[in-house]
Amino acid sequence: MTAYLEVTGLNKSFGGLQALRDCSFTITQGRITCLVGPNGAGKTTIFNAITGFLRPDTGSVAYRGNPLDGLSPQAIVRHGIARTFQNLRLFADLTALDNVLIGINGQFAEEPLGAIFRPFHAASTQRRRSAEALTILDHVGLADRARELVRNLSYGEQKLLTVARVLATGAELLLLDEPASGMSAGALDNIMALLRRLQTEGKTLLVVEHNTRVVQQIADDVLFLHQGHLMAQGTPQEIIADPALAEIYFGGAI
Amino acid sequence: MDFWFSYVTLAAIYVLLGLSTNLLVGIVGIFSVSQAAVFGVGAYVVAHFLMATNPISFLPALGISALCCILLNVIVTLPSLRVSGDYFVVTSFGIQLLATAVFTNWTEGTGGANGLPGIPPPDLFHRPLEETWQLMVLCLAGLALGCLCFFLIMRAPYGRLLRAIREDELAIAAAGKNVLRAKVSAAALAGAFAGVAGGLYATFLSFIDPSSFDLDASILLLTMVVVGGARTLAGSIIGPFLLLALPQLLTLVDIPSTFAAAMRQLIYGVLLIVFMLFRPQGLAGERL
Amino acid sequence: MLWLQLLVNGLVTGCALGVVAISFSLIYATTKIFHVAHAGVYTMSGYIAWSLVTRGVPDLLALLMAMAAATVLGALIQSQLYARLERRRATHLVILIASLGTLAVIQNILAAVYTPNILQFPEPWGANVIAFAGVRLTWTQVLTVAVCLAAFGAVVWFAHFTILGKRIRAVASNPFLAQITRLQPQTVYVIVVAIASAIVALPGVLVPLDFGLQPYGGVTPLLTATIAMIAGGVGSIGGAFLLAVGIAVLQNLSLLVMPGEWSIGITFFVFVIFMLFRPTGLFAAAR
Repeated sequence: MTAYLEVTGLNKSFGGLQALRDCSFTITQGRITCLVGPNGAGKTTIFNAITGFLRPDTGSVAYRGNPLDGLSPQAIVRHGIARTFQNLRLFADLTALDNVLIGINGQFAEEPLGAIFRPFHAASTQRRRSAEALTILDHVGLADRARELVRNLSYGEQKLLTVARVLATGAELLLLDEPASGMSAGALDNIMALLRRLQTEGKTLLVVEHNTRVVQQIADDVLFLHQGHLMAQGTPQEIIADPALAEIYFGGAI
Repeated sequence: MDFWFSYVTLAAIYVLLGLSTNLLVGIVGIFSVSQAAVFGVGAYVVAHFLMATNPISFLPALGISALCCILLNVIVTLPSLRVSGDYFVVTSFGIQLLATAVFTNWTEGTGGANGLPGIPPPDLFHRPLEETWQLMVLCLAGLALGCLCFFLIMRAPYGRLLRAIREDELAIAAAGKNVLRAKVSAAALAGAFAGVAGGLYATFLSFIDPSSFDLDASILLLTMVVVGGARTLAGSIIGPFLLLALPQLLTLVDIPSTFAAAMRQLIYGVLLIVFMLFRPQGLAGERL
Repeated sequence: MLWLQLLVNGLVTGCALGVVAISFSLIYATTKIFHVAHAGVYTMSGYIAWSLVTRGVPDLLALLMAMAAATVLGALIQSQLYARLERRRATHLVILIASLGTLAVIQNILAAVYTPNILQFPEPWGANVIAFAGVRLTWTQVLTVAVCLAAFGAVVWFAHFTILGKRIRAVASNPFLAQITRLQPQTVYVIVVAIASAIVALPGVLVPLDFGLQPYGGVTPLLTATIAMIAGGVGSIGGAFLLAVGIAVLQNLSLLVMPGEWSIGITFFVFVIFMLFRPTGLFAAAR
């Protein structure tokens, strides 16, 4: 049986810096996998390589058996993989609703001809899409903030919005880059519940996370990355209990 | 009365150009000093087809002109969008200077530096519009159509996509949308507006020459968008109406004619600097 | 031997264009600003020199004063306009538009003061010709080559062998790092634009000796110079100079087959070729 997501032998260096070193792992469908490791381990680089923002020097990525090598980020989203960014990259001067709508695929009048020559059709399909987007916002708990400009949302709300935006793409495999960082305790519980909810709805999640509590609570599998290479793989308990890994992660302190 | 008709007609034509420049510069964010060149292509193409040995009617000529200008804009923006923005500055200057060279030196096609006189008035369904007021109504109709198109585009998902592209292209790609296609279609649209404006201009003035389509003219178009305001319909309308009133105001001050052109361009330059320093959103627009 | 004459003419103009190219490249590589107003500084220097020379100021002094005026203008533009805009976090587009506005202001002040007609330098000595191997060179042409090659050498020496030059290159390669160390990028920017403006005054005065002064005559040389910079590879001083000479030679040789008004087409053609096949240029600086 082909692996859901298979990363094989990724190598990537920037000038003299080796960001990824023969990195290989597989992701199983329907599970929440956490990607952990010290800063500079290459976690975001892996995200960039999987989602087409970066071309690895060698190695390949395959999704459901189909190779993703050389595809543009847009094409990879169409295949069913979407990602969030550590620095959010939301559209600050657009509303929350608009941010979600940008993610929805196959919209009418997302090009000029339809907008000009079929304005009434454009308006009615827009109403339908807006309703869809509102449902997605409701799903992440932001329905009442739909009409707010993103710059007026709290940090926690903005983080939820990044999840809403990837949900809008309809992707099945979601790559979330530190979805819980910088969140207050209440918001943290909120987002962990959301992630588990997404799992029950059939999504597969690959999550970069630093917070060990979050990792313990939501991860089915943990991938420990160090210096661009997969050092260890296992359940959260196994990884967290390993003293050698803790040494690497915390630099000796416990 | 004729004076007012002329002013309004010309302003209407320049609003179409303002919409065109606003699309490129205000909305997509490309620095363009070649809009006057595209405007010129539109004007010369329509003039050519109306004065050919087998002349065609005005509206089809306008269609051909729009098509040519769309093609021109797409060809020019397509490669340059893939490299850094500064390279497009070079391309834009090059296109403008090249176009001026063609307009001035290709005497068989464009009449050279002496221009093309005797362009017939536009005809609607084989009835020529010769009265000034008729031309004004035609151009105002063009203005209304142009504004309607702009309004519909910006209200549609396409408008949202363009606004978001200006903020963060990478995030757009991550959302699964094609950035290049959106930018090129905006450039194509800008070309269409400029082509139609060119046709209206040629038939309204009945005489065109390269000096209306040179670098100075492109700077004027840029000034209209900067002063009126970027990315809004109001800005695209206010800019041209205001700046076309400027030459009239200057005639009230006693300046020798050799001075006048330099004075105008000097004022445009000052306006550009002042607005960029103190009011980048123009009078009725959004921040550039 | 027409082609030889054209080749030599091209080499001469190329040296002048090369200096414009390296001065522009200095500014662009350091400040990352596409300083189109540089064409205005170039043009203004010629007019200042003309005004001085026609009032009896000795030639060399007039050149030096023109260079001084250019330095002041360039430094003002950077410190009062660009620096101010950058402090307000203006977008690239805004700065470009402001630069274009500045160019328009400079050119049109010149046009208002000196009229838009072509002005000639009253320099009878410049027209003296030396002839060899079927080629005629005016003294002005010889002077142009000598001065511009010297300027090129000076810039290369300055960039690689002086402390200020190294500081400039450090700021250019990593402005962020420069910000948090003691390199003071903003001061460096003003210095760079001042120096580059002084340098561009050289061809700004020498070229009009043969070709005359025209208020709007700076745009085409600037465009050619920027294309030379890009084709040579941003950050490569030698590359910019070399490509400028190459393009000028090409433009002059093309006169054998087409009229001079189309020479802008040659320049643009070179640009398109490079954009299609080698957008980073021939000698792009190693990152």
